[in-house]
Amino acid sequence: MMRKIILTSMILVPLIPFILALGTGYHYFTTSLENSTISSLQRIVEDHRHMIESFLKERKHDLDFILHSYTFEYLSQHEKLDGVFNHLQGGSHAFVDLGVFNEAGVHVAYHGPYSLRGKVYKDEEWFKEVIRHGYYISDIFLGYRQIPHFVIAVTREEADKKWVVRTTIDTVTFNNIVKGVRIGKTGEAYILNANGILQTEPRSGGKLMDKHPDNIEYPSSNTSIKTFINKDVKGEKYLYTTTWLQNKKWLLVVRQERADAFKALTSAVYLIVLISITGGSAIVAVAYYVTNLIVGRMEKMDTAKEQLNQQLIGASRLAELGEMSAGFAHEINNPLQIIKNEQSLIEMNLSELKETGHLKESESLAELEDSMDQITLQIARCSKITQAILKFGRQDEPKPQNIDLRSFIPEITGMVAQKAVVHGISIEQDIAENTYPVHGDSAQLQQVLVNLFNNAMDAILEQHGTSGGKLLVKAGPKENNTVEILIKDNGVGISPESLNKIFSPFFTTKSVGKGTGLGLSVCYGIINNMHGSMEASSEIGVGTTFTILLPAAV
Amino acid sequence: MEKMKMLVVDDEERFLSTTKKLLAKKGYDAVTAASGAEALEKIRVQNIHVVILDVKMPGMDGNATLKEIKRQYPLTEVIMLTGHATMESAIDGLKSGAIDYLMKPADIDEIIQKAEEAFEKRQGLEEKIRVAKMRKLMKSPSEIIQET
Repeated sequence: MMRKIILTSMILVPLIPFILALGTGYHYFTTSLENSTISSLQRIVEDHRHMIESFLKERKHDLDFILHSYTFEYLSQHEKLDGVFNHLQGGSHAFVDLGVFNEAGVHVAYHGPYSLRGKVYKDEEWFKEVIRHGYYISDIFLGYRQIPHFVIAVTREEADKKWVVRTTIDTVTFNNIVKGVRIGKTGEAYILNANGILQTEPRSGGKLMDKHPDNIEYPSSNTSIKTFINKDVKGEKYLYTTTWLQNKKWLLVVRQERADAFKALTSAVYLIVLISITGGSAIVAVAYYVTNLIVGRMEKMDTAKEQLNQQLIGASRLAELGEMSAGFAHEINNPLQIIKNEQSLIEMNLSELKETGHLKESESLAELEDSMDQITLQIARCSKITQAILKFGRQDEPKPQNIDLRSFIPEITGMVAQKAVVHGISIEQDIAENTYPVHGDSAQLQQVLVNLFNNAMDAILEQHGTSGGKLLVKAGPKENNTVEILIKDNGVGISPESLNKIFSPFFTTKSVGKGTGLGLSVCYGIINNMHGSMEASSEIGVGTTFTILLPAAV
Repeated sequence: MEKMKMLVVDDEERFLSTTKKLLAKKGYDAVTAASGAEALEKIRVQNIHVVILDVKMPGMDGNATLKEIKRQYPLTEVIMLTGHATMESAIDGLKSGAIDYLMKPADIDEIIQKAEEAFEKRQGLEEKIRVAKMRKLMKSPSEIIQET
């Protein structure tokens, strides 16, 4: 439960701002990138329009210049026209030919690659237009030559007579001017007329004078620019910008594949996705790691707290039990004394009766005597228990003094050495030279150590019999001015269930009558009184270690 | 040789009667008292050599009784009988002049053994006093005459 809450918050708290930051960044970046891409495309369209219009205007001016510089008669002369054309072409190679027409539409003079002189253009659309407006630029058309071209024609009224000069513009040159735009990989420009017929060749393909298959949107007014995204026939998405040329006669289209135009955007998206995934997984991973760490620590602390609580409860319970059992033992001892005396009296009387011959040897008598022996035995057992209880709960003040463990411990091991030798147990002592002295009642501390040694030896005997036993006594200084005494055996070990209860009074694993179950609780009480602590760790079949921690004497 | 006379003091009536019987069977002369006051009264009227004294009694307890006995009859030996296994009460008793202590439940033979030891000690003491008095007599009869 706790783990879920921590994990969720550890993930969500950094993840939400992280996603928000990325999202906001993405939004503003795309918007600004789209805007800048579109506006750059629009600027290109505008520049291009300007260039194309200038080109057409210049060509028209060239014609205007010729028209006003020379007379109809002059230009009607073939050789003269040649000279003028050469001049004209010197200014721009876009001019393919030059022709002069009279009011009736007769091609009076012509300079160019075709032989068009004498042809009558009176009914041609362009001628009608130029007579009406004084100026005309055609769409691309095939004309007599059956070659796509477009013409610029200008008219002049001279002595009530209109005449017309017309020139053909090289579609290749014009094409190149229009096509000259290069934007990214797929950017291109082309011109459509009002009916959607291609006036220049798009770089991506498409023939002059074909209807362009794309779905084109038209700008509303003469000068405005329309920007939109549409699919072309192949289903590729394109970013289009269109603007009118020549007073809505032609439409300049600049288009670029959407993916190409927004290439930076695509890489930004990839980058953002990458950052999101790595960042997100990093957050999740760190959250998992930290949560595990925190939950682990919390569990450890909980366990430690639990253990401490149990120890505290255990200690106070021990103290209560001690007082209670001391009183109880004392009360038992008095009746026990009476029973013992009565039993002695019965025994004496029995033997008297036997001696005087009042009682004959019989099976019943033997049984009676056996029972008497048993009562003696059981009274002794009771008395042993009560004495142990009284020791455990005793109220008398200990006689504290400084105890030098460096000599004290060897003294005590000496006391049990004989028993150890008999049972084939090797005792190893490791007492550090800098072991502090401790403060306490030496008789009590002796009782504790002897008790632990005896327990250890019993455990060893159970595991190894009379060979291979090892008993280690170790003492040394620890931090915070404490001394640690370690008693380690390689005996039979204590099961985890029993390990919790070993310091409780009357807990024993020994067979009935062998132990009172008070030894370790007495030890515990003594060490507790010395302001020390005592604990045990054990593994079945490997051995048991008792650790006593005592404050150093000041 | 003088025969040992014992006094057993305890608040348990049954303990007193049985112990008296047991001691009698073992050939010892014993009187009993159920309280400290009664004990002092018995010692006053009879020549008691060894007192077996229970520590815990209602009214005047063992230690108080011990002190009173020792004050009035310093030669009377006292063995403390305690239900406490505490060294403390035993030490208190020994300090106040008890010769030994016994822990309940005590075996009758144990009681007799300790009592015998105490009696021996008392006899040894009395012997010394007697010898000392004798020496005094031998050294200067005139002084004795003067003293008396």
